[in-house]
Amino acid sequence: MRRNVLVTHADAPIGRRLIKSLYYDKRVDRILAVGAGPPPNAFDRFLAAPVQRVAYARVDLARHRSVHDLFHSVRLREAKIDSLIHLPPHGPREDGPPQLAGLAQRTAEARLLLHYCLEHGDIRRLVVLGSAFVYRLVPGNSNRFTEQSELDLSPNVPAETRAWIDSDMLFHNELHNERLGITLLRSATVVASGGFVFMNPSFDESTGRCIRPMGFDPMCALISDKDAVRALALAMHANVSGIFNIAGREAVPMSRLAEWTARGELALPGPLLSAISHGLHLTRGRRARSLLGGVQQRYGFTLDTSRARRELGFRPVYRVGRSRDGDGRLRLETARA
Amino acid sequence: MSTPTQPPASPSDGKAEPTALGSNPFDPPSGPDPFVQGLEELGLDPPPAALRPVGEPPGLDDRGTAEATAHAPPPLSELGRSEPLRVLESLVPEDVMRRVGALAYLADGESAYDRFGFSPEVTRRAFPFFYALYKYYFRVESEGHEHIPARGPAALCSNHAGVLPFDAAMIVADTIMHTDPPRLARSVVDTWAGSLPWINVLYARGGQVTGTRENCTDLLDDQQLILVFPEGVAGVRKTISDRYQLRPFRVGFVEQALAARAPIVPTAVIGSENQMPVLFNFEGLAKRLGLPAFPITPTFPWFGPLGLLPYPVSYRIVYGEPLHLHERYDTPPDELDSSVIESLAREVQQVVQELVDRHR
Repeated sequence: MRRNVLVTHADAPIGRRLIKSLYYDKRVDRILAVGAGPPPNAFDRFLAAPVQRVAYARVDLARHRSVHDLFHSVRLREAKIDSLIHLPPHGPREDGPPQLAGLAQRTAEARLLLHYCLEHGDIRRLVVLGSAFVYRLVPGNSNRFTEQSELDLSPNVPAETRAWIDSDMLFHNELHNERLGITLLRSATVVASGGFVFMNPSFDESTGRCIRPMGFDPMCALISDKDAVRALALAMHANVSGIFNIAGREAVPMSRLAEWTARGELALPGPLLSAISHGLHLTRGRRARSLLGGVQQRYGFTLDTSRARRELGFRPVYRVGRSRDGDGRLRLETARA
Repeated sequence: MSTPTQPPASPSDGKAEPTALGSNPFDPPSGPDPFVQGLEELGLDPPPAALRPVGEPPGLDDRGTAEATAHAPPPLSELGRSEPLRVLESLVPEDVMRRVGALAYLADGESAYDRFGFSPEVTRRAFPFFYALYKYYFRVESEGHEHIPARGPAALCSNHAGVLPFDAAMIVADTIMHTDPPRLARSVVDTWAGSLPWINVLYARGGQVTGTRENCTDLLDDQQLILVFPEGVAGVRKTISDRYQLRPFRVGFVEQALAARAPIVPTAVIGSENQMPVLFNFEGLAKRLGLPAFPITPTFPWFGPLGLLPYPVSYRIVYGEPLHLHERYDTPPDELDSSVIESLAREVQQVVQELVDRHR
């Protein structure tokens, strides 16, 4: 049976790669791509194809009205969408929607999509790309996490991580739903050729710098964007519900990842970072509580992916390393092993 | 949500997508690879080319592969800066450095680290220091290496003492030097050590792992050798009157060994219990300071941090016959009664205690 797929945040880097992958997937028929911004240039060839299999819609997934309209639209009905792949917001966005007051965008999107997927009769598969930063880190340079590892439910968790955990738990609650099969992939830091890093809170700060406490250099598990896309497609076709860790073969210290991605790196004394974090918290409110000096910048983790290998048939095939670019600089690169 | 700042071009936007990798690091290097040559000389299978580190020095010491290089004078730029290291390195026999270099096979993929942060390169650089401790400071003697399995999962289970974990460092150095092929004992350390700046990085680069169930399971499933101290922190804060009297063993290591069907090698370290005689342990103060122990010794805290330096006692490490506990039970450890696990832990403790008593 060929699937008709709705992909959220398709205009973001992982989304673009996913659409491209699904377009050439013989088991996929129609693709409805949804994004916050205008359709990316990369979609021109798909949208202009004689047989139009890809459609693009601009939707603010954190707003109730726009999600309601999407799920009740003629376009969705005509496309006979039966699967949904939800990607988290990631990557650069210049004209994104304003934040909802008091509620993280990630959580709002998860709640609304889950609600409408459950309500919509035809959608039978929901695949979600989550983050492995939801796990509780114990002191140490590297923790090994399985899907059964504890989540970080401490009240001191930064808002950014809390949003990951909240959305993770929303999907987790519906894992045993008989009508809607949900697969949640908890991903390691996603990297892409050219030195791009996604879904790592330490590399998402607006400064673009990697700031960490002195004396700590946590291990970062990596996965190539191409492997992450492969895992999403496998999960959609596998018809297996549950939670799966996905990661590539490489894990590198944070300092090395900053070097590979040409980010400036700054190691500051831990107490100074804590003081800055508290200062931000006091002056800018709770949402400003940042990760500065937090556990995620001190303690690293890697993921046990044996369950994904066993049940989804996922094995990373891309290696992450460095290659000399045209300008002579060494940059992070992914290549098929 | 944070505002992400990324490089301007997109990785998959067609134009930005590189079509070739240029000087691709994943291509096998041309000419003989000193790392592979070194492994072959050790009788080990060379790893696939893709497993070798990118942009890192080869895992095997260069001086071990080219005699001419070993005797050539170092470049002027290197003189002075690494002179102490060079002196230490000159103390280490060539075959020992080859053994340390052979541990490079443990690195995962292209990153030159394994998933727990172990760095063969950092270990290679730090090893001369530990070798000097092993050979000249603690004058370690060891026996029973034949009891350490040459391959497959295994757990070395040792007594623990001496405030600072030099006993672990000496066992790790000893296993590298006396196992064929060389095996790295991955010591399982308390989470407290993981919270210490710099120390946590040093531990990880040296192959030590935080003592969580998942970490141990993963290492044993990966056929590696782990080193556990089931006495835990209680061992290091033993006072001088209790030396060589083992504290009650924790039981987690027995469960892990049963689940992985790994033999347990009882190990006795003689000498570590004398390296820093604890006269009294200030438990209240330790708790207040968030430390596992606050020992009062003849030198600490009177001489400040220098007072924590161990006495140059001689060490003796003895490996006993392995205990194949998993062969006694067909059921997985989860289904075993906790009293059975506890009795097995007590049995291992007794064996280690006997080993200690016999050789002290």
